[in-house]
Amino acid sequence: MSIAPVYIAAAGIISPLGNGLEATERSLATGSCGIAPLSLFALAQNDPLPVGQVDGPGDGPDLPRTHRLALAAAGQAMQGRESPPDAVIVGTTTGGMLESEELLRAGVLDGARYRYHGLGTVAATIGRKYHCTGPMLTVSTACSSGAVALALALSMLRTGKAERVLVGGVDSLCRLTYFGFHSLQLVDRNGCHPLDKNRQGMAVAEGAAMVLLTNRPSEDPLAELVGAGLTCDAHHSAAPHPRGAGALAAMELALADAGISPEDIDYVNLHGTGTRENDLAEARAVGALFRDPPPLSSIKGATGHSLAAAGAIEAVVASLVVRNGLLPPNIGLERVDPDLHLRPLRKPEQKDARLVLSNSFGFGGNNGSLVIGGPGSTPVDPAAPHRPGKDLYIHGLAAASGAGMITATMEGLLAGRQVAGCVDVDLAAAALGAKTIRRLKRLPRMALGLARSACDDADPAVAPASVFMGTGWGALSETNDFLERLFATDERFPSPTDFVGSVHNSPAGQIAIMLGATGANITTSGGDYSFEQALFAADLMIGEDETTLVLGVDEYHHHLSPLFDPSVGGDAAPADGGGGFVVSRTRASSRCRVRLLYYGAGSAGTEPLVGGCGGPAGLQNRIGLVLAGIPAADQRQGEEQLRQFLAQAEIGAPVIRYRQLIGEFASASAVAAVLAATLVDRGDAGDPVTMGQPVDPHAGILVLGLGATITAMEFDRP
Amino acid sequence: MDNLIEELKDKLIDILNLTDVNPADMDADARLVGGELGIDSIDVLEMVVMVEKDYGVVINSQEVGEKVFSSLRSLAAYIQENRPRDT
Repeated sequence: MSIAPVYIAAAGIISPLGNGLEATERSLATGSCGIAPLSLFALAQNDPLPVGQVDGPGDGPDLPRTHRLALAAAGQAMQGRESPPDAVIVGTTTGGMLESEELLRAGVLDGARYRYHGLGTVAATIGRKYHCTGPMLTVSTACSSGAVALALALSMLRTGKAERVLVGGVDSLCRLTYFGFHSLQLVDRNGCHPLDKNRQGMAVAEGAAMVLLTNRPSEDPLAELVGAGLTCDAHHSAAPHPRGAGALAAMELALADAGISPEDIDYVNLHGTGTRENDLAEARAVGALFRDPPPLSSIKGATGHSLAAAGAIEAVVASLVVRNGLLPPNIGLERVDPDLHLRPLRKPEQKDARLVLSNSFGFGGNNGSLVIGGPGSTPVDPAAPHRPGKDLYIHGLAAASGAGMITATMEGLLAGRQVAGCVDVDLAAAALGAKTIRRLKRLPRMALGLARSACDDADPAVAPASVFMGTGWGALSETNDFLERLFATDERFPSPTDFVGSVHNSPAGQIAIMLGATGANITTSGGDYSFEQALFAADLMIGEDETTLVLGVDEYHHHLSPLFDPSVGGDAAPADGGGGFVVSRTRASSRCRVRLLYYGAGSAGTEPLVGGCGGPAGLQNRIGLVLAGIPAADQRQGEEQLRQFLAQAEIGAPVIRYRQLIGEFASASAVAAVLAATLVDRGDAGDPVTMGQPVDPHAGILVLGLGATITAMEFDRP
Repeated sequence: MDNLIEELKDKLIDILNLTDVNPADMDADARLVGGELGIDSIDVLEMVVMVEKDYGVVINSQEVGEKVFSSLRSLAAYIQENRPRDT
């Protein structure tokens, strides 16, 4: 089976090494260093630590720095291009955090001022600018985010779900990451010296890179994205596996995906953060993979570690390497650590490089490796078999709501009762050991409880190998507590525990440890559509024989939820919870099938939704019940979309507005999905839930997401 | 010294959220990190913050940290030796 190459048609980059491809390459060629003491924000204590701060990106109209960095990179990648991308995928961990921190410290309580806080607003801002009407996805897997975003885009293009994807990673410096990494004692006070014997840590940095990927033969492409591999250590929340087991597996998967062997690699772009643990673990993995490692270096001694941007920035650097043959030096290196058994490049080296391996690893044990090659380097018949395109089937279910866990939640909903409210987190975490949850606050406790419960509900012999989790707002308790203590102690005593817990992918990383799930571990975050994004990502990434866990979960936080989530804080009572599914591509003994039929921008209207669902005739034949999710903040737009959809589809199936029952929170759609699966599994739609309207027990159920984004999931038993 | 050890037990149970541990069950001489309590590197950093915040004692090198956090007794001794004297 042959795969059409995926081209890096164009790229944009803004980093401490400069703005644009030329400036970046010039800096790499001269071996210059972009690390200097922080000046972006004032500090209450101590001298500023060295960071990788970007000169720019210029003032923007009211947008956070992260968004402006991303727009600067996207602008370069889209330069001179008329056609909108079919999808936008962004890896980010900070979103509007830099600005939100200032607002929170000042005690600003106007939710409108936080409207760009959410991670998903970065992709939405880029999408709007370039008139994208397709999926706008956000992955937040800490320091591997940029690489994971590219891996998702690669899969979309290979499977024909898109022809052009604008994809990359971005993060701006902010207090959370500056003080957070410092509290973990991972910051080197003397700059950053990857692979050096005396390295003391990383330099927290910022930046953005966006690439335009296409599966259409592209005129003079920069490079080709040849393969990707994603794994999870399932070992520790913040420290890498000591022998680099997950890192090695990611590199091996990327090579297999590219259909090449280690000997084919001409240069390795290391993750090389400069922390003692990362560099040692990575060196061991590299040593295990290559009998005689090719030239290699880390550029983080020059750029610092730009977190979610790093994977994308280094993919662009790798593209420059295969295009121009300039291998970047390992800046900051004085004496190589003999324990690493590596010979990093000390000076820029001119050498033809056809294939480059680029590593990105992060908190939660998330590992992503990419293979980037020159023109024609994608093998026409790679060893890796490709995505079967089979549907996903649900084998286990879990839910949590104000009413309780799945049994109480479903009983309530089937009786037509409201289950909206805050989850009893002790109940959710009841099956988890005290040691497991000791350091976990509200969101991870709910997430682990859902994961445990979904796995117990499925065949216990089949443990999920991968985890896909959607969360609109992430770990709000940890985020709040970190900032609160930071401010209350005048920046003297930030909590390392809260920092590690505050990253969006922390719960999914904990789940991986609990389940021993060493496959892909992807956290998506797109406001009210985060669960749908997780399902989207799972469908893209999981193989034919793989069992995976897909979940959507959000916590209510009394201070932050009303500020961040525009649907919270009105008439609706505080609510949170979520749903979890064990899914695979195996139909046998499944509860039902789930298909994400449509994911697009709300601005595109409902016609593409109807088309995506198989047109009016298909919908009339298949659908017996519609569960409609209209976030309170998008009430008017959502109701209008629903009216148009029902008119265009000409279906008379009952419609339930599920947020009235489940509550106003970003992952309410995950609970609605569990309800749909439960109803299909029972073969009985239950009169009370439909307020007495008759429902065909064998029909499918459509779960719609409406508002700023339009989504459609169908649950049925074919 | 014994009072300080008892005080530290309560503090550790609190900041590390050791909900299933009784102060009476904590052995002052047992291995603190990587032992039965499940205390790891992140907890050590949290203890470093606590020691500085509550006792004014700074532990800023890994070598010192490894000695200091080897047991509750060594932690108490280090605090006692290094805390600023009340005037």
